[in-house]
Amino acid sequence: MNITRRLFVTGSTIALATPALLRNGFAQSGPIKIGSLTPLTGGGAPYGPEKAKAHRAVVELVNANGGVLGRKIELISEDSQTNPEAAVRAARKMIDADQVSAIIGTWASSETIGIQPLCQEANVVQLFSGSSDNLPDGDKKRLCFNLQPLNKAWCVALADLAVKRGFLKIGFAGPKNDFAASMGASFSKALQAVGGQIVGEPLYYNPTQVSYRAEAEKLISSKAPALFLAGYVTDMTALYRELIRGGYTGKVFALSFAVGPDFKKAVGSAADGILHGSPVPPVGKDAYDAYLRLVGAKPNGQIQFPYGCAAYDEINLLLLGITAAKSTEGRAIADNIMKVANGPGERVTTFAEGAKLIGEGKAINYDGASSSVDFLPNGMLKSRDFALYEIKGSEDVAILTTTSSAE
Amino acid sequence: MESYLVAILTVAGIYTILALALNLQFGLTGLINFGVVGFYGLGAYASGISTETFHMPFVGGLVVAMIVGSIGGALVALLSLRLSGDFLAIVTLGFAETIRLVFNNEDWLTRGPSGFSIMTRPVIDGLTRQGNAWFVLGVIALAATIIFALMWRLSRTPYGRVLRAIREDDLVPSTLGKNIFVYRLQAFVLGSAIMAGAGSLYAHYVQTITPENFTTPVAILVWMSVIVGGAGNMIGSVLGALAVVFIYEGTRFIGPWLTMLDAEQISALRFIIIGTALILMIRFRPEGLLPEASQRPAEAAPHISASEGSHR
Repeated sequence: MNITRRLFVTGSTIALATPALLRNGFAQSGPIKIGSLTPLTGGGAPYGPEKAKAHRAVVELVNANGGVLGRKIELISEDSQTNPEAAVRAARKMIDADQVSAIIGTWASSETIGIQPLCQEANVVQLFSGSSDNLPDGDKKRLCFNLQPLNKAWCVALADLAVKRGFLKIGFAGPKNDFAASMGASFSKALQAVGGQIVGEPLYYNPTQVSYRAEAEKLISSKAPALFLAGYVTDMTALYRELIRGGYTGKVFALSFAVGPDFKKAVGSAADGILHGSPVPPVGKDAYDAYLRLVGAKPNGQIQFPYGCAAYDEINLLLLGITAAKSTEGRAIADNIMKVANGPGERVTTFAEGAKLIGEGKAINYDGASSSVDFLPNGMLKSRDFALYEIKGSEDVAILTTTSSAE
Repeated sequence: MESYLVAILTVAGIYTILALALNLQFGLTGLINFGVVGFYGLGAYASGISTETFHMPFVGGLVVAMIVGSIGGALVALLSLRLSGDFLAIVTLGFAETIRLVFNNEDWLTRGPSGFSIMTRPVIDGLTRQGNAWFVLGVIALAATIIFALMWRLSRTPYGRVLRAIREDDLVPSTLGKNIFVYRLQAFVLGSAIMAGAGSLYAHYVQTITPENFTTPVAILVWMSVIVGGAGNMIGSVLGALAVVFIYEGTRFIGPWLTMLDAEQISALRFIIIGTALILMIRFRPEGLLPEASQRPAEAAPHISASEGSHR
């Protein structure tokens, strides 16, 4: 089995790569292997497929134009199942059997953190989108890059809005997971920084509960004039229903992905007045539109594929990093991703533009589809657009879009 | 590819230990324990906390894990062993879920959902990355071999026969003066301690554990191993665990051949293949790959048979 597989992979690669070999003339050894580890099933299933698709689309485009460093890119796709245990097994296979140079696309912070020790040990670069404030902790070798702002950045924007609307005392509730737990701590800090305060203890619940009656009662009895509910769609809907039934009349702040169409349909007019926000792709920006067209969507002024655009930047940055490093070795790639992302250099928005300039010996600064893609020294995103909305008549009405900074 | 095989074998070794422990509880004694992940997780966290928070060596963590696993097993057993089969299944399932929620909510102890990272590894200093991988495999293979030898021996002793008798009909051994409850308790506690030991090995192998590592699907894999291998047969459990892990991992390699499917479809197809294999197995070979050797009663001695007696 061992040999047959090798023979097959080598054979098919040679067959596929022949035109490129002929075109480039100076092609090196086999393909450059990259792992695409996305949540295709489980809690991340609504977002994993758009990430996997973005990776594949860029790789196909790049391969059609001769590959990277004269070598083909071979993308190895695996399903992380939104579960760290499955993600670790998939990452083992990618690192040990396929010998990938990088693993990109993990979504839940638990999977990213779960595979971190393996990647660190094998010098494998990680590019991902995640918000847990704990993400940089395990990255001792500085091989990680995050395309999503950390919770701290989300919370600053929401706390500002709350204070502007005159809410200084806010209660907090969220599911007990890595995302919401660090959200609670960050929100408390952000609120204090602008003169506000969390009412009582942050309330964490188990997100698979059948009923949220007890949680709702507790929140109502805290008499908080406003609540920040950092839940996902299912628990948010159930908790909000209980709050309304229990007669809660205060303001509610939420995260945009939790109060989407499904939520509005479920609670009807009771959704009016909810304020919500989330990081958004820069709608209307050239790089974002280019991404949408590449994956076969039409730019329509609306937010589409909020995580796919981050995946597009993951793969572009990685390939540019490899090009600039002239190597597939982890350390060199990571150092060059930092240079390519932060500049200084000429602005580029696609791999082709960047590779051309690097070939001419010029410095570049990649400007992405999800953000301007500038990293802090620890590999976390510096800033990203953040939009705030109010629900009026079951529609989202934009209040403002700010660029929230993580510093 | 070689280091990947090492990684799969390491995982298979851990599942083998879990399957052997479950085979003691279910295969021999007939105790339905759906809470495998509860004890597995208890061991993982107990070991991780011992080595990281209290700076014990790896072996210390392993010992603590097994002690904690035994205590946990004894508590669950004392509360619920008098309940018959189905009720025990529900209680153990509830136990596993409760334990997971404790891991998730007691941040001061387990660091909650952000995960517990473990630096202590069961390796000696100065090895390469490859060397470390082989060394961990060696440790886990050694542990699996010891547990296998123990279980294999145990299933052939008079003690093992009593456990089997309890599984078949607990009235029979109790009329022979055996204390059924004590036997069940012992089998349950021993099995739980071994599961916790497997948890410890797992924790120091993967180095980051989160409550999500210990959800029921892991227990289902262990149950699949025991059922596919043949309940009651220790060699069967080893074979079952190897088969399940290799099917689970081997299906990853169908991807490159099916270029017309996207990643999402391939991932669904993997589960379809695994499920179909299990259904076919249950339909055509319900007793498992290696069924338990049938224990025929000894032929009745001729002189007490009725027909012989009439000749006299």
